[in-house]
Amino acid sequence: MHLHKFEKIWLVCGIGSLVVFLFIVGYGAFWQGTHPQSHGVTIDPYNIESNEAFKPENLGLTKVDDDKYIVNIAASAFNYDLGKDEEGNAVKTIRIPKGSTVLFQAATKDVVHGFHVAGTNVNMMVEPGYVSSLETVMDNAGTYTIVCNEYCGVGHHMMYATVEVYE
Amino acid sequence: MRKRKDHQASENEKPNLIGTFISVMLLGAFIIITWFGAYALFISR
Repeated sequence: MHLHKFEKIWLVCGIGSLVVFLFIVGYGAFWQGTHPQSHGVTIDPYNIESNEAFKPENLGLTKVDDDKYIVNIAASAFNYDLGKDEEGNAVKTIRIPKGSTVLFQAATKDVVHGFHVAGTNVNMMVEPGYVSSLETVMDNAGTYTIVCNEYCGVGHHMMYATVEVYE
Repeated sequence: MRKRKDHQASENEKPNLIGTFISVMLLGAFIIITWFGAYALFISR
Protein backbone atom coordinates (compact mmCIF):
# COMPACT_ATOMS: atom_id res chain seq x y z
CA MET A 1 0.00 0.00 0.00
CA HIS A 2 1.34 3.37 -0.97
CA LEU A 3 1.07 6.16 1.56
CA HIS A 4 1.90 9.78 0.92
CA LYS A 5 4.66 11.16 3.16
CA PHE A 6 2.23 13.63 4.79
CA GLU A 7 -0.25 10.84 5.48
CA LYS A 8 2.45 8.94 7.33
CA ILE A 9 3.22 12.03 9.44
CA TRP A 10 -0.38 12.66 10.52
CA LEU A 11 -1.08 8.98 11.12
CA VAL A 12 1.95 8.82 13.43
CA CYS A 13 0.74 11.99 15.23
CA GLY A 14 -2.82 10.63 15.57
CA ILE A 15 -1.88 7.16 16.76
CA GLY A 16 0.84 8.65 19.00
CA SER A 17 -1.63 10.98 20.72
CA LEU A 18 -4.04 8.08 21.20
CA VAL A 19 -1.27 6.15 22.98
CA VAL A 20 -0.36 9.22 25.09
CA PHE A 21 -3.98 9.83 26.16
CA LEU A 22 -4.53 6.13 27.00
CA PHE A 23 -1.35 6.21 29.06
CA ILE A 24 -2.61 9.29 30.95
CA VAL A 25 -5.93 7.55 31.69
CA GLY A 26 -4.09 4.42 32.83
CA TYR A 27 -1.69 6.45 34.98
CA GLY A 28 -4.61 8.21 36.67
CA ALA A 29 -6.51 4.99 37.27
CA PHE A 30 -3.75 2.58 38.31
CA TRP A 31 -1.05 4.77 39.88
CA GLN A 32 -3.06 7.65 41.29
CA GLY A 33 -6.19 5.72 42.21
CA THR A 34 -8.64 7.96 40.33
CA HIS A 35 -12.02 6.27 40.20
CA PRO A 36 -15.71 7.11 40.59
CA GLN A 37 -16.51 8.91 43.84
CA SER A 38 -18.62 6.11 45.30
CA HIS A 39 -15.41 4.13 46.07
CA GLY A 40 -17.62 1.04 46.28
CA VAL A 41 -18.74 2.06 49.81
CA THR A 42 -22.33 0.95 50.20
CA ILE A 43 -25.17 2.17 52.42
CA ASP A 44 -28.83 1.22 52.91
CA PRO A 45 -30.63 3.92 50.87
CA TYR A 46 -33.86 3.45 52.88
CA ASN A 47 -32.03 3.98 56.16
CA ILE A 48 -28.96 6.14 55.63
CA GLU A 49 -29.13 7.14 59.33
CA SER A 50 -27.80 3.67 60.13
CA ASN A 51 -24.42 4.93 58.88
CA GLU A 52 -22.59 6.93 61.58
CA ALA A 53 -21.74 9.77 59.17
CA PHE A 54 -25.38 10.35 58.18
CA LYS A 55 -27.01 10.42 61.62
CA PRO A 56 -28.94 13.74 61.84
CA GLU A 57 -26.53 15.09 64.50
CA ASN A 58 -23.49 14.37 62.33
CA LEU A 59 -24.73 16.13 59.20
CA GLY A 60 -23.10 19.33 58.02
CA LEU A 61 -19.67 20.71 58.85
CA THR A 62 -17.49 19.06 61.49
CA LYS A 63 -14.00 20.19 62.42
CA VAL A 64 -11.80 17.15 62.99
CA ASP A 65 -8.37 18.79 63.29
CA ASP A 66 -6.58 22.06 62.58
CA ASP A 67 -7.43 22.86 58.96
CA LYS A 68 -9.24 19.55 58.55
CA TYR A 69 -12.98 19.34 58.11
CA ILE A 70 -15.62 16.81 57.19
CA VAL A 71 -18.90 17.79 55.54
CA ASN A 72 -21.65 15.16 55.61
CA ILE A 73 -24.58 15.71 53.30
CA ALA A 74 -27.87 13.82 53.09
CA ALA A 75 -29.32 14.56 49.67
CA SER A 76 -33.00 14.03 48.98
CA ALA A 77 -35.57 15.43 46.58
CA PHE A 78 -35.16 18.44 46.69
CA ASN A 79 -32.81 19.36 49.49
CA TYR A 80 -29.28 19.06 50.81
CA ASP A 81 -29.54 18.30 54.52
CA LEU A 82 -26.56 19.99 56.19
CA GLY A 83 -27.88 19.60 59.73
CA LYS A 84 -29.43 22.20 62.01
CA ASP A 85 -27.96 25.25 63.74
CA GLU A 86 -28.36 26.05 67.50
CA GLU A 87 -31.78 27.57 66.89
CA GLY A 88 -33.01 24.51 65.08
CA ASN A 89 -33.05 26.06 61.61
CA ALA A 90 -31.77 24.08 58.65
CA VAL A 91 -28.19 25.00 57.72
CA LYS A 92 -27.94 26.32 54.17
CA THR A 93 -24.47 27.89 54.28
CA ILE A 94 -21.25 26.36 55.55
CA ARG A 95 -18.17 28.46 56.22
CA ILE A 96 -14.69 27.01 55.81
CA PRO A 97 -11.35 28.81 56.28
CA LYS A 98 -9.16 29.06 53.19
CA GLY A 99 -6.53 26.37 52.81
CA SER A 100 -8.48 23.71 54.73
CA THR A 101 -8.62 20.09 53.72
CA VAL A 102 -12.26 19.15 53.40
CA LEU A 103 -13.75 15.68 53.01
CA PHE A 104 -17.21 15.80 51.45
CA GLN A 105 -19.35 12.71 52.08
CA ALA A 106 -22.76 12.48 50.51
CA ALA A 107 -25.54 9.92 50.36
CA THR A 108 -29.03 10.03 48.90
CA LYS A 109 -32.31 8.88 50.43
CA ASP A 110 -34.16 8.56 47.15
CA VAL A 111 -33.06 9.09 43.55
CA VAL A 112 -29.74 9.94 41.90
CA HIS A 113 -28.58 13.44 42.76
CA GLY A 114 -25.55 15.49 41.82
CA PHE A 115 -23.23 17.32 44.20
CA HIS A 116 -21.27 20.07 42.53
CA VAL A 117 -19.57 22.89 44.38
CA ALA A 118 -19.67 25.11 41.29
CA GLY A 119 -16.31 26.65 40.44
CA THR A 120 -14.29 23.93 42.18
CA ASN A 121 -13.32 20.36 41.34
CA VAL A 122 -15.83 19.01 43.88
CA ASN A 123 -18.27 17.36 41.52
CA MET A 124 -19.79 13.94 42.07
CA MET A 125 -22.85 11.83 41.50
CA VAL A 126 -24.75 10.69 44.56
CA GLU A 127 -26.28 7.32 43.83
CA PRO A 128 -28.76 5.39 45.95
CA GLY A 129 -26.95 2.70 47.89
CA TYR A 130 -23.50 4.30 47.76
CA VAL A 131 -21.55 6.82 49.81
CA SER A 132 -19.87 9.34 47.53
CA SER A 133 -16.82 11.03 48.97
CA LEU A 134 -14.20 13.43 47.73
CA GLU A 135 -11.38 15.11 49.63
CA THR A 136 -10.12 18.47 48.47
CA VAL A 137 -8.13 21.49 49.62
CA MET A 138 -10.13 24.71 49.48
CA ASP A 139 -7.37 27.00 48.25
CA ASN A 140 -9.43 29.81 46.73
CA ALA A 141 -11.52 32.13 48.88
CA GLY A 142 -15.00 32.91 47.67
CA THR A 143 -18.65 31.97 47.81
CA TYR A 144 -19.56 28.80 45.97
CA THR A 145 -22.99 27.42 45.27
CA ILE A 146 -23.60 23.72 45.70
CA VAL A 147 -25.87 22.60 42.90
CA CYS A 148 -27.53 19.35 41.93
CA ASN A 149 -26.44 18.56 38.39
CA GLU A 150 -28.33 15.30 37.95
CA TYR A 151 -31.95 15.93 37.03
CA CYS A 152 -33.88 14.58 40.04
CA GLY A 153 -37.44 15.79 39.55
CA VAL A 154 -39.64 18.90 39.38
CA GLY A 155 -37.82 20.67 42.22
CA HIS A 156 -34.34 19.95 40.85
CA HIS A 157 -33.55 23.64 40.34
CA MET A 158 -34.42 24.48 43.95
CA MET A 159 -31.83 22.08 45.30
CA TYR A 160 -28.84 24.14 46.38
CA ALA A 161 -26.71 25.26 49.31
CA THR A 162 -23.72 27.56 49.76
CA VAL A 163 -20.09 27.10 50.73
CA GLU A 164 -18.17 30.17 51.89
CA VAL A 165 -14.39 29.92 51.88
CA TYR A 166 -13.07 32.83 53.93
CA GLU A 167 -9.52 34.22 54.39
CA MET B 1 -8.87 10.96 -26.52
CA ARG B 2 -7.09 13.91 -25.11
CA LYS B 3 -9.08 13.71 -21.89
CA ARG B 4 -8.02 10.13 -21.39
CA LYS B 5 -4.37 11.09 -21.71
CA ASP B 6 -4.70 13.79 -18.99
CA HIS B 7 -6.35 11.32 -16.69
CA GLN B 8 -3.53 8.87 -17.07
CA ALA B 9 -0.92 11.54 -16.46
CA SER B 10 -2.56 12.70 -13.23
CA GLU B 11 -2.57 9.17 -11.84
CA ASN B 12 1.17 9.02 -12.00
CA GLU B 13 1.67 12.39 -10.31
CA LYS B 14 1.75 12.66 -6.50
CA PRO B 15 -1.34 14.41 -5.14
CA ASN B 16 -0.68 17.81 -3.63
CA LEU B 17 -1.62 17.37 0.03
CA ILE B 18 0.07 20.40 1.57
CA GLY B 19 -3.29 22.11 2.30
CA THR B 20 -4.69 18.96 3.87
CA PHE B 21 -1.52 18.54 5.90
CA ILE B 22 -1.72 22.07 7.28
CA SER B 23 -5.44 21.64 8.12
CA VAL B 24 -4.79 18.36 9.94
CA MET B 25 -1.93 19.88 11.94
CA LEU B 26 -4.03 22.96 12.85
CA LEU B 27 -6.85 20.70 14.06
CA GLY B 28 -4.35 18.67 16.08
CA ALA B 29 -2.88 21.83 17.62
CA PHE B 30 -6.40 23.02 18.53
CA ILE B 31 -7.19 19.71 20.27
CA ILE B 32 -3.92 19.78 22.22
CA ILE B 33 -4.39 23.45 23.26
CA THR B 34 -7.97 22.80 24.50
CA TRP B 35 -6.80 19.69 26.37
CA PHE B 36 -4.13 21.69 28.22
CA GLY B 37 -6.71 24.45 28.82
CA ALA B 38 -9.04 21.99 30.56
CA TYR B 39 -6.10 20.52 32.51
CA ALA B 40 -5.02 24.01 33.65
CA LEU B 41 -8.59 24.67 34.88
CA PHE B 42 -8.55 21.39 36.82
CA ILE B 43 -5.19 22.22 38.44
CA SER B 44 -6.05 25.83 39.34
CA ARG B 45 -9.42 25.13 40.99
